[in-house]
Amino acid sequence: MTKQAFEKIVVLDCSEGVAGGYCTKLLADFGATVIKIEKPGVGDSSRHMGPFLHDDPDKEKSGTFFYLNTNKKSITLNLETKTGKNIFLRLVEKADVVVESFDPGQMAALGLSYESLTKVKPQIILTSITGFGQTGPYRDYKTTNIVTFGLSGAQYTSRPATHTSSRPVVEGGRQSEFTTGLLSFSATVAALCDRIDSGKGTWIDMSAQECVASTLGANISEYPYIGLSRKTNPFAIHGYPIGYSVPCKDGWISLTPGLGGAPNIPLLIEQPELLEDPFFTKPAARMAEPEKFDAILTPWLKEHTKWDITKQAQELKLAFTPVLTPGELEEDEQLKAKGFFVKTQHPVMGEVTYPGDPFKMSETPARVGKAPLLGEDNGSIYSGLGFTKEDLLTLTEQNII
Amino acid sequence: MAYKLLHGIRVLDLTMVFAGPVSSRVLASLGAEVIKIESAVRPDVFTRGNVFPENDPGTEPWNRGSLFHSLNAGKLGITLNLGSEKGRDIFKQLVKISDVVMENYSPRVMENWGLGYEELKKIKPDIIMASMSGLGHTGPLRDFYMYVPGMEGMSGLTHMTGYPDEPPMLSGFSYGDWTSGGTSSAAILIAIFHKKSTGEGQFIDLAGREALIANVGNIIMDYTLNRRVEERMGNDQPYLAPHGCYRCKGDDNWINIAVGDDEQWAGFCRVIGNPDWCRQEKFSNSINRWKNRSELDKLVEGWTILQDKFEITESLQKAAVPAGAVLSIKEVNLNSQLIDRGFFSVIDHGEGIGERPLPNQLPAKYNNKESFIPKRAPKFGQDNKYVFGKLLGYSEAELAALETEKVIGGAPSFPPGRPTRLNLIQQQDAGQIDPNYLSELRTKYKKDIGKTGKV
Repeated sequence: MTKQAFEKIVVLDCSEGVAGGYCTKLLADFGATVIKIEKPGVGDSSRHMGPFLHDDPDKEKSGTFFYLNTNKKSITLNLETKTGKNIFLRLVEKADVVVESFDPGQMAALGLSYESLTKVKPQIILTSITGFGQTGPYRDYKTTNIVTFGLSGAQYTSRPATHTSSRPVVEGGRQSEFTTGLLSFSATVAALCDRIDSGKGTWIDMSAQECVASTLGANISEYPYIGLSRKTNPFAIHGYPIGYSVPCKDGWISLTPGLGGAPNIPLLIEQPELLEDPFFTKPAARMAEPEKFDAILTPWLKEHTKWDITKQAQELKLAFTPVLTPGELEEDEQLKAKGFFVKTQHPVMGEVTYPGDPFKMSETPARVGKAPLLGEDNGSIYSGLGFTKEDLLTLTEQNII
Repeated sequence: MAYKLLHGIRVLDLTMVFAGPVSSRVLASLGAEVIKIESAVRPDVFTRGNVFPENDPGTEPWNRGSLFHSLNAGKLGITLNLGSEKGRDIFKQLVKISDVVMENYSPRVMENWGLGYEELKKIKPDIIMASMSGLGHTGPLRDFYMYVPGMEGMSGLTHMTGYPDEPPMLSGFSYGDWTSGGTSSAAILIAIFHKKSTGEGQFIDLAGREALIANVGNIIMDYTLNRRVEERMGNDQPYLAPHGCYRCKGDDNWINIAVGDDEQWAGFCRVIGNPDWCRQEKFSNSINRWKNRSELDKLVEGWTILQDKFEITESLQKAAVPAGAVLSIKEVNLNSQLIDRGFFSVIDHGEGIGERPLPNQLPAKYNNKESFIPKRAPKFGQDNKYVFGKLLGYSEAELAALETEKVIGGAPSFPPGRPTRLNLIQQQDAGQIDPNYLSELRTKYKKDIGKTGKV
């Protein structure tokens, strides 16, 4: 049996949706006992997000919920009742971390503020994930994946280098939410590290707007140094027109030059006579006429497949790579060799293949495991608290669990 | 704001450019002592050498680049030539007193130097080593040449980004590099926790492409479950309408509006003054609005285009409708919410640069933990004395000898500092340029941005 980094850590996850779910997924995959606390009957909002197995919108068949909740346990509990709240506090006594995503102030309104949690468990770590944080003029703003993306500055830069005044587009999938989940995870693990030395917990205030703004990394600082607000990817700024994908025979190719230039492209496209052409030696020439530059490359690219082009280009030390669809990853030779996709059994969905964790750790690898059915662990967790079968029936009738 | 949580953790950081430095900046923001290792023959050229204050490279351009400042604040900096045997010996001495080594050379480089994980483990059994690359440390494609478009493109993310009838799109902000770095620091934090709990180190293989795949895992599930390939859909979100980015009054101004249910739809209609079209059957419920969304989007934009993006952000939010202006990089730097919460640290860079606001790379606010403002990103070789002298015990004479032998120290091999070609950016319409940025920042931050300087 391999070791699990967080094997002794107990996490209560009463967050809703993607960001909190991804944060606690990473904790669970690396060994923590994560108890997902869901609303009786309905469950987490991501149970209602597609894709669904065979398009059947059953709360046990969501691919999104499955992916975000591997290796977790699920109990149902209505936190808006007094009994529910008291049961929650008894769970907090045995927990190390609580992750929540209520609107600011709502936990406190339920009688579950950070202070109340520390009364039953002084060393508790509470991670609160919201759109804009617990403080500041936007704290009560409502947000979604796209709204956060726009308010962080990321979307303004998301336009093709050749059409920089076009409508800004949100990054594919749910990047605002995943990014927020990832950073909430890191912030929580840092608090767990600190607790080993200090013996003290903390309340962590995460803002999705800040998480996504931090992904702008160095680009954000172009303003305080030279007053620049870029409208597209950096390649245009550093002398290369192609920061987008170009078509080939069976899809698209990402063309990236080395920062110095693209000297071998004429060899790739079988036009060695162009080796000294300014298009291939001077970035400024490419920048001046990007469409003309494309037109030289496109005919050859259109006659070759993305993998054919990639392999030939790589031999010439050109950083050309294929644009892969989500359907081309499971069979990708590199991902197969690395054992990236994993498989597990699920009582309703049957055998499920899902993308594994984002890194390989030699001593504490990620676990493989299914997502829980709604309330699957009510029996074991509540009996652990001393509730009898009759107690559970009563609580069910009162719509508390 | 940064916090002292990783007390006593020392990190040797051999990474360059963007992804790796993001990862070590996260650790520095959490109070780890990060020692960035460069050398005269191998400085972090790209970030040190781009985007200078007031577009002036000055006499020491390598100490002025904003990309470097932003990505390396809070770290120490030394120069050590790993190409020399003596340099590698000194590196091994540093490994003995460190907790984490991180690198993003192409796979094999560290092994060829005799500095692979197995070797480092012999010197320091509980060392944590993180190797970052595009496609991973093993496997048939591990030696691929690739940058951020490669990682994004090969993850499925590029395919999913952009409009259905247009080419798949690269992110505008090197998101793949950031994700690779952000995910790497998550892995290192797991390893630090494990080491603190058990005394055991380990090796981390971080492939940037896999970090990105994890962030589109929900989309890939449609393939693994149903053998269906999802397509890019611009700003659409299935079954939600109106949902997207709409043009507002003025030049290049936009707002995102994301109506999630009938209640929010009613709120939206109220804010726009309940025009007749709001009451039409074809927009009466979410399914109808989704079916007729292209017509609806035009009507919505007919209203937004006459409005100020900030004013309607506020009025829509007051009606509990998720909506928000698409902020430019300028507007992010001047955003009252971000400034109010201390997302930016105003960091003093010393004479000629002064104070500049720089973003946090781990934007968590911790209750009851000691916070600090990170020091400026290191000047080239700035901490040689502390690291080689104080930590390793080399005498002044020994350090001078090492410098003569070009093992440490020296001026970086560096191309002449080149200003950003603002005229080219303007010509390409690749960005907006605000000549009054310093006074705008001074007003908002109530500090003498760009003026003082004591470091």
